Amino acid sequence: MKAPFSRYLVSIKSALKTLIECLDEEYDYVSALAADSKGFAVRVSQTSKSVSSETMTTERGIVIRVCRDGLYSEYALNSFDPEAPLEAAEEIKKALDRQFALLKSTGTAVYETPVLSDEEETVFAEKETELLPEETDLKELVEFLSALSDRAMTLGEHMLECSTSAQSTHICKMFLTKNRDLCQSYVYSEGTVVAITNKDGHTQYGYEGVSGDIGPEIFARLEDRVEKAVSVAEELLNAERIEPGEYEVITSPEVTGLIAHEAFGHGVEMDMFVKNRALGKEYIGKRVGSDKVTMHEGALCAEDVTSYVFDDEGTPAGDVTEIENGILKTGICDALSALRLGSAPTGNGKRENFEHKVYTRMTNTIFDSGDDTLEDMISSIKYGFLLEGMESGMEDPKHWGIQCIIKLGREIKDGRITGRVFAPIIMTGYVPDLLGNITMRSKDREVFGNGGCGKGHKEWVKVADGGPYLKTKARLG
Amino acid sequence: MNAEKIVTILKDSGLYGWEVNDIKTEGWEFYFIRHRLDQNRVKNVEHITVKVYALSEDGEYLGSASCEISPTASEEEADALIKSLGYRASLVKNRAYTLNTPCGAKPESAVLPDISAVSRDFIETMKSLPETESEDINSYEIFVSLKTRHFISSTGIEFTESCPDSMIEVVVNARKDGQEIELYRSYSSGACDREALRKELIRTFAFGRDRLTTVPTPPLGRADVIFSTEDACRVYEYFASRLSAGMIYRKMSSWKLGEEITPGGNGDSLTLKAVKYLPNSSQNRSFDAEGAPVKDTLMLEDGVARAYLGGRMFSSYLGLENSFIPSNFEVSGGTRPEAELRKGPYLEVVEFSDFQVDAMTGDIFGEIRLAYLHDGEKIIPVSGGSVSGSMLEAAGALQASEERVLYGNWLIPAVTKLPSLTVTGAE
Repeated sequence: MKAPFSRYLVSIKSALKTLIECLDEEYDYVSALAADSKGFAVRVSQTSKSVSSETMTTERGIVIRVCRDGLYSEYALNSFDPEAPLEAAEEIKKALDRQFALLKSTGTAVYETPVLSDEEETVFAEKETELLPEETDLKELVEFLSALSDRAMTLGEHMLECSTSAQSTHICKMFLTKNRDLCQSYVYSEGTVVAITNKDGHTQYGYEGVSGDIGPEIFARLEDRVEKAVSVAEELLNAERIEPGEYEVITSPEVTGLIAHEAFGHGVEMDMFVKNRALGKEYIGKRVGSDKVTMHEGALCAEDVTSYVFDDEGTPAGDVTEIENGILKTGICDALSALRLGSAPTGNGKRENFEHKVYTRMTNTIFDSGDDTLEDMISSIKYGFLLEGMESGMEDPKHWGIQCIIKLGREIKDGRITGRVFAPIIMTGYVPDLLGNITMRSKDREVFGNGGCGKGHKEWVKVADGGPYLKTKARLG
Repeated sequence: MNAEKIVTILKDSGLYGWEVNDIKTEGWEFYFIRHRLDQNRVKNVEHITVKVYALSEDGEYLGSASCEISPTASEEEADALIKSLGYRASLVKNRAYTLNTPCGAKPESAVLPDISAVSRDFIETMKSLPETESEDINSYEIFVSLKTRHFISSTGIEFTESCPDSMIEVVVNARKDGQEIELYRSYSSGACDREALRKELIRTFAFGRDRLTTVPTPPLGRADVIFSTEDACRVYEYFASRLSAGMIYRKMSSWKLGEEITPGGNGDSLTLKAVKYLPNSSQNRSFDAEGAPVKDTLMLEDGVARAYLGGRMFSSYLGLENSFIPSNFEVSGGTRPEAELRKGPYLEVVEFSDFQVDAMTGDIFGEIRLAYLHDGEKIIPVSGGSVSGSMLEAAGALQASEERVLYGNWLIPAVTKLPSLTVTGAE
């Protein structure tokens, strides 16, 4: 079935167009992004259960963007009365005028930006899904997650708790200007199993997830993830501390995705180019990795949690080749940054929700696969580690440093996995070194869409990343 | 649809229990590149969140379900949502617990500041910084919000309280001989404290200068590490988390009331207090999210656990009276002046990529962007490498200064020393 577009958004479209027409008399550019996204989040553990209709991306509200004399301004509201669009326009003008008065009295200069183009375009996209979150009977889901949690508790000697979660969101967004009328509707879902173990006062956890741009039907896949989550949580209880140093490593697809995201995801967000905050600006056309490094970014690169039709500025979704055979080709860009840099937007202008500003943000960030097998990669290592599971990462686009917190490292000695496990692992280093040392990549690849991404320490959005197994050298601690 | 109408529907619904949180926010935002305005934004929103409770027929289980009801929802839509919540709550089989009830507490009467005046304070402070050719501001983002919260519950709790909530994110550049670096800072507060913001950013300029002269961090193996910036809050959050009702009930923390949390430790015996009010905190409130009154409460006294705090369900399971979800914290118990803690060799990290302390496992980690290696004679700025360790081992050896400093909703020792952490070098 097709995910039906929001009736609420249809009901306010005409009034929003009137609002835009009214503001258009005062400003050089006017757009409206309206969102009506519904969903659910169910969490079940041994000690508590909860059901909520809120996920990271559920929202209902409108953001109006205007431009005058090179300055872009926005007004976010969630009590729009379609019977009174002219009153809303007056309120918006009045509120922004109060800000302009403050800016004038503080002698604030403007970073002038050209006016966005407004070529005629109409899009109405309803993507496929088997089930809709708003029509899902949660009784079965609560029972399913309870059974998963119960089963996990029987699988490990030291199991303390097992938390499971299932979230599904039906995104509906409408982007309007004087000449543009874009509507999209799609569903994405994600689920997790977190197994928690305890031994002699030491607590550890193993984490497995599923995600995709489909409906609640995806949660059945969690069945296969329980054993892995429990076995990792049990293994970590006996993990050793790694001797800090530089090692040959193989990154699992999840860790590969983390590197993609932190290294040349954030590193080529071009709003950072505008602020001169990213070293990548100086390296377009230059080598930043080995020949084995090719990386793509875009909502069209994979089918996962952020595979939309158009972004929050009405730019069509894209598929950008950021790095090709080790050479940095281009970055990703929102519409305003593109105007400032004289480049084209890539469909990466995203907001946390209607209340937040647009920044250049990632969607699917993925390393291309190669021709090697994991077995050949392991057998090529004299001493090193197979790195599995991501905890978190932090970008440093200005200096190309990287911090990846990795769940565990499996020791490899003389081409074989020994069974010794080391945790936690902090992988740090200089991005071009890390990518420059990539010598092998596996044939397969996986994409992961659980979790979120912040810009600095805020502005959380959904992203997905991944790739194949990669062999490189890294500093571990 | 407004909160009043929603309450009327809830009262007629026959549901076992419910809570309505109605938060109205007026927000002003300003985004600067250098000191030129990139964008200005206004936010005028209302979020009405409804939580309903369903008690099973045998009284054994109490379930809850929640949703947001948009101000634009029709009465029919709100009615259907609340009916759906009742059904969803009945699916949630949590062991029965008691809901918060009125206790006579009243909200503090707070007068909200003028949003334009607070914004002006931020803008003018940023423009008045002593920038030079070698250290200046790359960009900054100012967020000023005035929030008013109206809470109503089926048990008779009702109050309205207001608080300003501000945040500024600043990127500082420093440059020398063609090399440029950046430092990232973000500060949360109620309104704008001009003097504190200015002082912090002037200190950051100095860090920027030093960052340009760093050498790679040597592989120190084990070293004493000093935390003297906001990152130290992550260390103290570990203690607060381990005393949360949720972690205690779920047996993820074994700390027992009346017992020392780190028996045999040779460090300072900390005192941790949840407090209702801290100067200029954006978290000053009289009631928590579930309507429980917030009171000054000793959680840890001289290293001995005194109180667990948390949400209603886990607090009820643990039989806790007077529990609430804390939002402001005070830490004391340092026995030495800062100067004494700084004697001998140590590494002082003032800039991490992202410093983390995992409350569940106790793992500590962070990549070093700027640190000062005090070798007993010289002070050497270093960068690269990482700090790691475990709070399970380090908590008992923690040393803190007598002097204290305020970071948003945490008042903590100005200097915190964790002995014998692992320092990976960048060489």
